[in-house]
Amino acid sequence: MLGIILGVSSLVATLALTAGIEQGSRVFMAQMGGLELVRIVDQEISNENLEFWNLSPGRTLQDAVAIRQSANLISHVSPELQEGLPVSSGTETMRIRVTGAWPDYMGVASNELAAGRFLSDLDGELANRAVVIGHTIAVRMWPNLPADQVVGKTLFLKEVPFEVIGVFIEYMRESERRDAQRNATKPETPVKGRRSGGNWDPFRGKNQAVVIPFSTMFYEFKSGKFPEDSVDTVRLNDFNVRIGDLNSFALALDQVRRVMNQTHRGVDDFGFDTREEWFDNMERNIRGTRISGGLIALISLLVGGIGITNIMLASITERVREIGIRRAVGAKARDIFLQILIESISIALMGGILGVLCGFGLIDLLNRLAPSDNEPFVTIGAVLLSVTFAAVAGIVSGIYPAIQASRLDPIQALRYE
Amino acid sequence: MKASRFSLTTPGPLIPADVSLVFLKDVTKVYYIGDQEIRALNGISLSIEQGEFVSIIGPSGSGKSTLMHLLGCLDTPSAGHMEICGHDITTANSDQLSDIRNREIGFVFQSFNLLPQLNVLENVEVPMIYTGASASARRSRSEELVERVGLQDRRLNRPTQLSGGQCQRVAIARALVNDPKIVFGDEPTGNLDSATGQLILEMFRELHEAGRTVVLVTHDPKIAAVTHRVIEINDGQIERQYDPRKTAT
Repeated sequence: MLGIILGVSSLVATLALTAGIEQGSRVFMAQMGGLELVRIVDQEISNENLEFWNLSPGRTLQDAVAIRQSANLISHVSPELQEGLPVSSGTETMRIRVTGAWPDYMGVASNELAAGRFLSDLDGELANRAVVIGHTIAVRMWPNLPADQVVGKTLFLKEVPFEVIGVFIEYMRESERRDAQRNATKPETPVKGRRSGGNWDPFRGKNQAVVIPFSTMFYEFKSGKFPEDSVDTVRLNDFNVRIGDLNSFALALDQVRRVMNQTHRGVDDFGFDTREEWFDNMERNIRGTRISGGLIALISLLVGGIGITNIMLASITERVREIGIRRAVGAKARDIFLQILIESISIALMGGILGVLCGFGLIDLLNRLAPSDNEPFVTIGAVLLSVTFAAVAGIVSGIYPAIQASRLDPIQALRYE
Repeated sequence: MKASRFSLTTPGPLIPADVSLVFLKDVTKVYYIGDQEIRALNGISLSIEQGEFVSIIGPSGSGKSTLMHLLGCLDTPSAGHMEICGHDITTANSDQLSDIRNREIGFVFQSFNLLPQLNVLENVEVPMIYTGASASARRSRSEELVERVGLQDRRLNRPTQLSGGQCQRVAIARALVNDPKIVFGDEPTGNLDSATGQLILEMFRELHEAGRTVVLVTHDPKIAAVTHRVIEINDGQIERQYDPRKTAT
């Protein structure tokens, strides 16, 4: 029974931990833009095209317009211009990379606003001096204000005044969110801004975003650079598209490739940076963890099953007389077999239920001792699976003792003292 | 004749009147201990009719326990022909024997053989479990029988909390729960003091008066004297049969 409890609880805990990791990485994937996000990158031209390199204008706004008009499988197109600029609120100043973008910037990488609004088409049309900033920037620029109350303030980009029209939410990993929650209950150690740990922070870029309209970026900070002296011919610094439906992933990429073959005059100076491989790796790791944890749990279930077999065999020797009496008053061998089997299943199920409870305790304990990056959570499926395994262990381990018991000769069993 | 507590609830025998309830012809039972052959029963021929009150008597080692096991369908003969309540025992398989034990035979043992983890009512119910009766039917039947043996006050007690005589009354109630045609008592008074033994014996007599066939196995001539037919066994054979009421000395 102890073995069953251990087995089931470790199975529940393992499943909960991996479910937590899985959940965490799914949230992470979604926040990073998910599989649908495809980056269009510059690429070395192949040898056959080398002589025509100057025929291609490179990644320009024309590509973006053409893709938006012709590639119907693409839901969002986000051409981006970037420029490192001094950013100041009047009191605080820092140098930061500013992005000029279309309103599609919002949807292409699943961004969310904490306050205000995002850039509109009109902002682009009028080249408004409007800016949407990330959480870190808001906190750095106005240390005394909550991040969601900086809307309406003026931010100077290279001494040009911009109105803050929106603030992004604070992106954080599952582990940081839990840290924050834990610290929130302890007011004496408030967390200000981002934790500056040595860890790689995948959301640093997103939290330090400073986004202005594409046109504003060009006219204020990029124009006058020959030969990219038109908004249509300026070279993009970053170029992302979002696939509308993952089922037509390859088809959508094909559309983009055809469109860009036109705009680039057949020069293959571009490529696609998809995240399939990265996400595949992540999935594979999760699966690996789950399998190894499950194996450990199954081994302890096996040990628990052997324990039950032993208990049942011992209880049969204690109960030979009972079996004899039952046989004498009319129990068939089958009845005895079933009785022992049901008893062993009951023990296993009881162990299973206790194991599930212990599993919850184990998860709590692990959480306290070694908080993992992801909140573990127990799914109903995991509980059902564990209890089912316990029941199977009960059946398997009960069969042998049950056969032994049903084979007892009633006369011998009655005489047994 | 005074009204008995144990009147039959099923009227009349279900087997033809001309067929014996117990019928043995040249029955032999041989055991092997290692290479040694032990002839426990050696050519027993016997018949017991519906409604008889019979005792089987003999010294230890005479084969009376073996005979008891055969009559109680706990075992099958090595040779010969044997029928219980019209069922051919010689060819019956284990499941059929279980069914006969369950429905046709009630057993009362010397050492009571109650299940210690069950209370009085539950002990009485055990044979009914194997007939497939519903829990409510079992409970009402066991309540009825526990009352008839006069233990309604102790019906929720465990066997360990009962005296020997009370235990034997529970065992009698259990033996009757499926309304068997024959009740066997294997030294039913052997573990009791003589006064309690008399009470239990009286119960068996009442069972007989109520029309049930009763067979007692004993080594005590005083108990045998209460019955209407004594079968003396020695060395695996029937030595003699007599009616103790007629040959009273």
